[in-house]
Amino acid sequence: MSLLELRYRSVLRLLPASYRAEREEEMVDAFLESAGDAPDEANPRPGWGEIASVLALSVRVRLGGAGAPARFVAWGETVRLVALFGLAYQSLDSVFVAADLIRALVFGPEFVLMGAPGSADRLLSIGVAAAAICWAVAFVAIMRGHVLLAKVTALLGAAPTLAYFVVPAFLAGPRPLVEAANLVFVAVPVIALLLGFHSDVTPWRRPWPLALTPTAAGLALLGTAWLVVWLRPQDAEWLYLWLDLGTTVPVWGVASVVVLARRRSPSWALALAVAGLLVLAARLPMLVNLPEGPQWTTAGAQCVLLGALSLVLAGAGLRGLPRARAA
Amino acid sequence: MFLALTALVDEPRHGYGIVQEVDRLSEGRVQLKIGTLYGVLDRLSAAGLVVLDREEAQQGRLRRYYRLTDEGARALQEEATRMAAAASAATARLRARAAGGAAASLLASIAASLRAGGAA
Repeated sequence: MSLLELRYRSVLRLLPASYRAEREEEMVDAFLESAGDAPDEANPRPGWGEIASVLALSVRVRLGGAGAPARFVAWGETVRLVALFGLAYQSLDSVFVAADLIRALVFGPEFVLMGAPGSADRLLSIGVAAAAICWAVAFVAIMRGHVLLAKVTALLGAAPTLAYFVVPAFLAGPRPLVEAANLVFVAVPVIALLLGFHSDVTPWRRPWPLALTPTAAGLALLGTAWLVVWLRPQDAEWLYLWLDLGTTVPVWGVASVVVLARRRSPSWALALAVAGLLVLAARLPMLVNLPEGPQWTTAGAQCVLLGALSLVLAGAGLRGLPRARAA
Repeated sequence: MFLALTALVDEPRHGYGIVQEVDRLSEGRVQLKIGTLYGVLDRLSAAGLVVLDREEAQQGRLRRYYRLTDEGARALQEEATRMAAAASAATARLRARAAGGAAASLLASIAASLRAGGAA
């Protein structure tokens, strides 16, 4: 076996074993024929383009590309659901940002926007708000089958979080755990969107009411939040922990119980497990800063629920996956 | 996908044969990487547009030849017709634009001559 063949076979190890069992020999044959005569003394290596093409093929096969085994189809569905859950939450959250912008238009920007009029801070503040609203566009786009638009707007939505983490980390060193957790919370669904909705996936075209559900839920939550602020209940700061990221916990909990009870889709169970762990990752660092008492107990209970139920979901999902095809 | 299907119209080809033919058909503009080629073949096979024709052993390695199915030929025909219609529409509009441009420049030169005659 020549050095080039050996190295190309190493690259092919990026592919799942079942795929290699089916395709490796003919891929090696095609590659060596295209590479021509390459003596070992020349220290030949597969080009970066070839390696990238195998990597892209590997991702597509593992995420349910055309003709992929049922197990990989289920993993692909899982990744796409993780993307949808993440976009749905960010879409809901963007309603609050949009409401702030409307307040700025009605009552004057001093209420909600940073910096003096015409300053760079003010411009940045408006840019960040506009980026947040891109999440809502991304969710509607992916639900209506516009994959490219969804990917671009989701990247725009995630850009401020990435910039706020990377730039200070580059200038001043490691960032606090809470920022790293927030980055993971934002970035994972976007990566899932970019990888999961590949060219072999037929875009969904879900009904408009479903595409607008997170926005409607965001409006309902906004109304509730304003009501709570207006009522100012005494000694009930813990209540606010159910109006931020905590809103997702009961919804996620109910969905998880339904999925576990029906025992139907391993993809749903796995995607809910990932979503639960992402919320947990964003919630856990809060415990350090919360005062002891009802607030800490509430956040702690949310974390315990998220952790425990996520593990049960992950177990159920992994057990329910179709068996891997024998290589 | 269009070029890969076209490469299989005249005869069954193996992986590198398809790469070469696509390169030739596109006059060197499309050079398929092997990972990309097999992604395309997976899609075409899953859609029933190509099937395995035969297997051969070459220098101890497996070589598989793929051929176009009737369904693949129909899909390629439809795509070719669609592309030809689009190309024809583009050509017709370009002709009209060129004719419009020529007419406009003729009118402009007549107007210029009239202005020059008036001034004299």
